[in-house]
Amino acid sequence: MPIRILLVDDHPIVRQGLKTLLEGRAGWEVIGEASDGAEAVEKAKDLNPDVMVLDVTMPKMNGLEACRLLRRLAPELEILFVTQHDSPQMMREAIEAGARGYVVKSNAARDLLAAVEAVSQHRVFTALNGREAAGLG
Amino acid sequence: MKLRILLADDHEIVRRGLRALLEKREGWEVCGEAGDGREAVEKALQLKPDIVIVDIGMPNLNGLDTTRQLLQHDPQFKVIVLTITDSDQVIREALDAGARGFVLKSDAARDLVSAVEALQNKRMFFTPRVNDLVLAGFLEKGHALSRNEAPKLPTLTAREREITQLLAEGNSSKEVACLLNLSTKTVETHRSNIMRKLSFHSIRDLVVYAIKNNLIQIELPPPPPKTPAGPAPA
Repeated sequence: MPIRILLVDDHPIVRQGLKTLLEGRAGWEVIGEASDGAEAVEKAKDLNPDVMVLDVTMPKMNGLEACRLLRRLAPELEILFVTQHDSPQMMREAIEAGARGYVVKSNAARDLLAAVEAVSQHRVFTALNGREAAGLG
Repeated sequence: MKLRILLADDHEIVRRGLRALLEKREGWEVCGEAGDGREAVEKALQLKPDIVIVDIGMPNLNGLDTTRQLLQHDPQFKVIVLTITDSDQVIREALDAGARGFVLKSDAARDLVSAVEALQNKRMFFTPRVNDLVLAGFLEKGHALSRNEAPKLPTLTAREREITQLLAEGNSSKEVACLLNLSTKTVETHRSNIMRKLSFHSIRDLVVYAIKNNLIQIELPPPPPKTPAGPAPA
């Protein structure tokens, strides 16, 4: 199933790594990139992606603020956080902000593809270190 | 012959991004990857890469200790340190550990290729902030001297300056001997004399001296592109 993905992270190297992983899947396309929350909101409005892969800690506007804003502006968009914060508290905040998925960067190579697939089908996918991925229907 | 690079970072996603960046260059090959410092040392000893790129913040053995261990095993290893912070302390420790390149992770997409090129050409690569710190550190030493009775500064002979430059560029005593058609023992005698004359205790002191006295050039990253000016006010 084709999925159009917008990547948002303030580190170009991380975006490059995520991109090589995601574009290994047939039909998945990274249609754009952004390096802060404000740019993420603008590009989401312009490009209308299916899924946004979003970092938390970014300049100008962090990922949680961007997520809350996008919930109102683009309700169809599914948001997956990929972040350094291996914290249940942060994960709860992310889900409350409107994200459907939450994956820790150190395990992104293991969890990202399954997470993108799940959120694109409107299923929740969360995985912290030492905890099994939780996917809810 | 390909330039062989070993990547050490505990985030596979970051290693993927670094690999994609580096392997765009023809003739460059990522010959191995490591997820922590111990693995980095094992793989470096096994694969003998030309360049080792290490993240500072790795589990089991951090990037600075990895650098120290690599250079204890073989001073010929050329190490670039990747870090999320360029605090004074981190910079000093990276230089003391023997790193020849220092790149901020946030700027890696812009600077890492230049850093690898520099090391490939036996030059060093530091971010501008590191250059400032190195020079500030040298100036601080100079001021400290002038606060007391300034002793007459020792002068190096032409041969000693030549050897200082080659050592600061990362050549071993054996390589210097080969380049200058001298015996290794002679070079090591010169090296001891240089360190004693200048009251230096580490290769870092030598590097600072070489920079201050224009014996070596430091690669600076290219300036960031200028953002276009906004529209003129009405």
